[in-house]
Amino acid sequence: MKRLRLMLWLLVAVMAGGALWLFARPRPSAAPAETSFVSIGGVFTLTDSDGKTFASGRLAGTPYVLFFGFTNCPDVCPTTLARLIRLRRQLGAGDGAFEILFVTVDPERDRPADLKRYLSLYAAPIVGLTGSPADIARVKKTFGIYSAKVPQPGGGYSVDHSAAVLLFGRDGGFGGTIAPDEGDAPALGKLKRLTA
Amino acid sequence: MTRAILSAACAMLAVAGCSNRPAAPDLRIEGAWARATAPGQASGAAYLTIDNQGDGDDRLATVATPRAATATIHDSSSRGGVMRMRMLGDLPIPAGKQVVLAPGGTHIMIAPLAAPLKAGETFELTLRFDHAGDRRVPVTVVALGAR
Repeated sequence: MKRLRLMLWLLVAVMAGGALWLFARPRPSAAPAETSFVSIGGVFTLTDSDGKTFASGRLAGTPYVLFFGFTNCPDVCPTTLARLIRLRRQLGAGDGAFEILFVTVDPERDRPADLKRYLSLYAAPIVGLTGSPADIARVKKTFGIYSAKVPQPGGGYSVDHSAAVLLFGRDGGFGGTIAPDEGDAPALGKLKRLTA
Repeated sequence: MTRAILSAACAMLAVAGCSNRPAAPDLRIEGAWARATAPGQASGAAYLTIDNQGDGDDRLATVATPRAATATIHDSSSRGGVMRMRMLGDLPIPAGKQVVLAPGGTHIMIAPLAAPLKAGETFELTLRFDHAGDRRVPVTVVALGAR
């Protein structure tokens, strides 16, 4: 009896020790912050709204801005594209000051003809780009773009997607972003520097 | 004595209650517009301002339009750099407040469109409020890039 009692106490001690170790053991420290530069952008090949191959090499020597969206996006995408057209006009250097590229994140629904019909409604040139789902996945990765389909109540789906406009200079170098909630004045400043 | 004061207070409260009409919303719906859509484009968005100049709350419960099977209240928002669009069941219209539906935020999504919304035309939305009832609103369609 006395022995049993001793053994039980021993068990309690072992368990308490274990619990203490679990609680107080040194935890692996958080990984050090990533210090390498994230490279955004690169060469890509997609299909334009005429169904022709569009290779990024065509943009050499031209500043361009890239926006990822989809034609069935009723609010944010037209708002962003309309804003880019307005800002390009405000620059006062014509529609050639920089190219506006609209890349679909919904390649299943947005075929070249859909992009053409959609973009022809804007009273200024916009390059519409689509491709196979694999093409689009690759280009999203190249530009660090996130998108995900979200089912809509009542059927169909919407697509959540990165909202920022990506800027690239004449030399193809990454020139920053324009966020949707950023004021027109700083956005115009960035575009001025990009096209200077 | 206490009883007398109490009954007097009650009487005053009753009078105050009677002299006040019940709080009621007073809605003005202004500046309704939508962007043109392309043939084949499934959805459009309409924007407007609901100004409640009354002293009672109201609620936008449903929206309907002859142009599509559904007109639903949606909200676009950006979080962590990602744009999301979600359906809101309804929209509270508090007393004395202006509720603005504008690009990049709350809007009425019209889908699936039976025919494209053409720049220059006008179509109708019917907004159903809990208290103000049905309000028919003409919506002006503007060219993409115009606003």
